[in-house]
Amino acid sequence: MIEIKDLHKSYQMGSNSLHVLKGINFSVKEGELVAIMGSSGSGKSTLLNILGMLDVANEGEYMLDGVPIKDLNETKAARYRNKFLGFVFQSFNLINYKSALENVALPLYYQRVPRKERQEKALKYLEQVGLKEWATHLPSELSGGQKQRVAIARAMAAEPKVLLADEPTGALDSTTSYEVMDLIQKINDQGNTILVVTHEEDIAHMCKRIVHLKDGVIVEDKKVKQVRASEYV
Amino acid sequence: MFDRDIWQEIFHSIKNNKLRTFLTGFSVGWGIFILVMLLASVNGMQNGFTGQFNDDATNSIFIRPGNTSKAYAGFEADRRIQLKNDDIEYIKRSFPEDFVDISARFFRGVSARYKAETGSYSVQAVHPDHQVIEKTIVTQGRYINNNDIATGAKVAVIGRKVGQDLFKTEDPIGKFVEFNGLPFRVIGIFIDEGDDNAERGIYTPVSTYQRIYGNTDKIDQILLTYNPTYDLARALEFSDRLETLMKRKHKVSPKDQSGIRVWNYAEAFSDISSFTGVLSAVSIGVGFLILIAGIVGIGNIMVFIIKERTKEIGVRKALGAEPGQIIKLVLLESVFITALSGFIGLLFATGILSLIGPSMQSPAFTNPSVSFSTVLTATIILVVAGLFAGMIPAIKAANVKPIVALRDK
Repeated sequence: MIEIKDLHKSYQMGSNSLHVLKGINFSVKEGELVAIMGSSGSGKSTLLNILGMLDVANEGEYMLDGVPIKDLNETKAARYRNKFLGFVFQSFNLINYKSALENVALPLYYQRVPRKERQEKALKYLEQVGLKEWATHLPSELSGGQKQRVAIARAMAAEPKVLLADEPTGALDSTTSYEVMDLIQKINDQGNTILVVTHEEDIAHMCKRIVHLKDGVIVEDKKVKQVRASEYV
Repeated sequence: MFDRDIWQEIFHSIKNNKLRTFLTGFSVGWGIFILVMLLASVNGMQNGFTGQFNDDATNSIFIRPGNTSKAYAGFEADRRIQLKNDDIEYIKRSFPEDFVDISARFFRGVSARYKAETGSYSVQAVHPDHQVIEKTIVTQGRYINNNDIATGAKVAVIGRKVGQDLFKTEDPIGKFVEFNGLPFRVIGIFIDEGDDNAERGIYTPVSTYQRIYGNTDKIDQILLTYNPTYDLARALEFSDRLETLMKRKHKVSPKDQSGIRVWNYAEAFSDISSFTGVLSAVSIGVGFLILIAGIVGIGNIMVFIIKERTKEIGVRKALGAEPGQIIKLVLLESVFITALSGFIGLLFATGILSLIGPSMQSPAFTNPSVSFSTVLTATIILVVAGLFAGMIPAIKAANVKPIVALRDK
């Protein structure tokens, strides 16, 4: 599903150049649930941003579902993001004046799905994350865990090839974190490919594979025995 | 354009920034209000000026004789020029294409008497065409006709005031009134909208008066109207030709300004229209400058809105919003605010104009109003202004890098 060869990324900081990714080789197959770990500054977020086409690499190849991702202009990147990727952010990033349902329906709007169909689909995904009753509520009326579940429903609504989660539990307490991870595991069980960036060991062990980043290179890439989050809930 | 989601977002951002939207919208509305009021005022002045001249046909030319100021063709200066009946025939023959109505004017003061009532009035002895040239409105009876001229009938068309003075409550039509002792039959009554004094006048056939005053063929003035399809240049060219010919006929130097004067209304009109033209150009300029201030205001508010929503725009882009869609959202919002507030300004201005406009009737300022085309232009200006105001913020918004926008730390 994801194929990365010799990826380099550096940032210009005034006269200094900061080499963040120093040759990443990495591939993800369909249906995998991968945790990307590393301390801050290890380059894990940068990697995720490049995977998510929010940022571009200086060097290297990136294939997503057989499509080479290169020479992106803004419009093309937007279309690819919409077609291939779903995002879940640490701070949820829901649009605060839109109801849960409207938030979930937003990517479908950008896919130019007709309004009625959009709402039906959005409601279906809200039901999957167990928030059907909260459809008309604004994000401010939801708890943190509920917000993240709405965000996950939003990411899934566009039916992406890959779900990218950047510290999805970073702003949640442990109980809610496990609830969210439980949901992510269930989505993965349905065959969806998911990448989770985290720095928490227990969250990482709820994935099927852990990739360790340190100083811009992969230092460890291992399969793990998945811990089911439902055991803790 | 008619996407419910886009409008929902526009209304939301307006709702969240009520005061700011109001203040900026106010400046645009105010700009339009001033622009419309300025144009209407110029229009009112124009109406006032034109109204002043409405008393006479606007395509009329007056020929007045005077005393020559230059010696010419063997004649000394200060010679009195006298127009005669054959001058009218001469003009008719010389300019068959150019003139429409022509009349002599011969005036004398008379003392009029009916039964015990007497009064002094000015009698104008004229041809039937005089009615058109002076725009005389006959309310009762008729005006002088060709038959009266041919027979030299002792008939008179009297002003409304004359009728009131002499006849009191009696109906003057058909009655005989004495002018300097000679009986004239009243055949008509006229009114004059602009001028009460004009209603103290009396019209009689020119031939009748010429016979009474020594069987003469002299006349005091000639009035005529020219072909109304003529534009200004052609009208002036005609009056120049007329003047040249009349001067030649009466042996007046072509450079003599006082021997024969030909006065064309078109000249006055050309002055007025160039004056009001400059005035409206100035007011359009001022209105535009005010409008620009409003547009900058809208641009300003949009920049702030974008700043505030940077993160949201980043999220949208992460979810697959294309730059074009973001630009559309921002532009539509700015066009909406400008158009709505400008429209309110327009509504206020036209409302005030329709309320107070008709009651403004002073000679220099009559019925200020705006035409449909002005309103249409203002509307187009508003939409274009909104587009301009939104342009820079919209491009800015479209260039928001999602990665920068989403950096939460």
